[in-house]
Amino acid sequence: MRNPWGWAGLTAFSLLFFVFIYAPLFVIIGYSFNSNPVNMMIWESFTFDWYSGLLGLSDRTTDVSNRAAYIESTDQMLAALRTSLTVAAFTTTISTVIGTATAIALARYRFRLRGLYNGFLMLPMMMPDIVLGIGLLIFFVTLGMNLSLLTIIIGHCTFLTSYVFIIVQARMAGLDPALEEASADLGASEWVTLRKVLLPQLAPGILGGALLAFVISMDDLVITYFVSGTGDTTLPVFIFGMIRRGVKPEINAIATLLILASVVIAALGLWLRSRRTD
Amino acid sequence: MAMRRQSVVLGLLLTPVTLFLGVFFLLPLCIIAVFSFLTPGLYGGVEWAFYHWNYGRIFGWADGIIEIFEPIYLQILLRSLSFAALTVMLTLILCYPVAFWVSRLSDRWRLVFMFLITLPFFCSLIVRLYAWLLILKPTGLFNTVLLATGIIDQPLEILFTPTAVVLGMVYVMVPFMFLPLYAAIDNLDRAQIEASLDLGATRRQTFLKVVLPQTLPGIMGGAVIVFIPSVGNFIVPDVLGGAKGLMIGNLVEQQFLSSRNWPFGSALSMIIMTVVLTVLLVGMTRARKAGGHA
Repeated sequence: MRNPWGWAGLTAFSLLFFVFIYAPLFVIIGYSFNSNPVNMMIWESFTFDWYSGLLGLSDRTTDVSNRAAYIESTDQMLAALRTSLTVAAFTTTISTVIGTATAIALARYRFRLRGLYNGFLMLPMMMPDIVLGIGLLIFFVTLGMNLSLLTIIIGHCTFLTSYVFIIVQARMAGLDPALEEASADLGASEWVTLRKVLLPQLAPGILGGALLAFVISMDDLVITYFVSGTGDTTLPVFIFGMIRRGVKPEINAIATLLILASVVIAALGLWLRSRRTD
Repeated sequence: MAMRRQSVVLGLLLTPVTLFLGVFFLLPLCIIAVFSFLTPGLYGGVEWAFYHWNYGRIFGWADGIIEIFEPIYLQILLRSLSFAALTVMLTLILCYPVAFWVSRLSDRWRLVFMFLITLPFFCSLIVRLYAWLLILKPTGLFNTVLLATGIIDQPLEILFTPTAVVLGMVYVMVPFMFLPLYAAIDNLDRAQIEASLDLGATRRQTFLKVVLPQTLPGIMGGAVIVFIPSVGNFIVPDVLGGAKGLMIGNLVEQQFLSSRNWPFGSALSMIIMTVVLTVLLVGMTRARKAGGHA
């Protein structure tokens, strides 16, 4: 940029852009420490009540008349968190195994349907989640399957496999096939080459794919919304339900904790990536 | 490349994905197609008999006896398409200058801002939408600030309007537009820009004739990636939109979870799927043409 005024304008615009992205998150964080239970906009005083309330440690609730109902909702939230973690753990494992196997197959073997597979694997990522969600709902109900943790896990794996595939495939592209050729020339079987030569080199890519799958699974709302039974609510579905019933200060505390968690995970991802390029 | 012949290992590697996606991805999509031509049962089930009024209700060949044509469905479809198109345009206008700016920063700052742009990917979608609910409420941050500074004397009704829906979608989609744009802008051939300016082209001409054509693949990619999740979105209009912000995704959700008319909901989903596949095909062919080498 030769024009200093143009550059200054561009800088101002860009900084405003980042304010636009981050201001809403800081609004939630700020509100989560405001003790005013009726109007969050009016600052009353600084409080940790909403956080301790989440853990059942505080008497302060927005539903003073009905404390029993509130405790129940705290339990429900913790149960939702457990469900989310369970689903994400299974989903990450399954989709990472399938996605990695697919990436290896498509990068190292030449077969007739290869192009078709490459294109087809893009579809689950591009298909709107509402279409996939109702498709799975009709499918499970028609088969007579009960909606449960299993159906949520299956639902997540359908599109997360493709995400893992993409990440691992990118890593595959950067590998030197000569190492595998050497291994084969030296008499290792296909299987041994795969396990001892290829997989160790792929590890950072697989880890990256698994991390991405975990994060997306934890955050999935739409598919879970359609294929979860009444008993198994994940955290995003639980928050969605809370928001639909009305805004309460407790939501700010949950949301702030989730924002914190995402910062930690993003930093972890960055650290993994920087290690990978070393 | 170490391309080997087909083998047992290849079979082992490909069987899981083929079975899994065949059964749990392709089959459900086919079932939607079948259901969209079935007769809705009286009490929420389906009868296995051919029925084309599901589409007739939407596109206007309903006979007025079995099913009634209501133009509202077409209106909502058009609204979804225009909201999605608007989201694409707004994210593009927002991201293009910023991507340009980030690409001209020093290495260290570029890393910082790239991290800042990817961070929202890791942050819960519902939390990010909830933030806008807090901001746009009649008693929310936006109105409070405007009232306090005396710019307005009545709270603005933004929440539960189309404006709120588009704003929410732009906010959620911004990173998806930014990354492909940034990749294209970062690959710009700077020598060509210098040459264009040295040879007397104005900055405007240089932008239109040199920069824009080179970044077109990124623009197309970003547009496709933003348009597709926007058009079928039902969470954003559910949280931020009122009756006037309803989109086709909300209609589908209603058919499945409250009206229990699954065949009609399937017909609506088929429309979303058709739009998405069309955009995907057109976008990909265009991007390939524009990129030449891509």
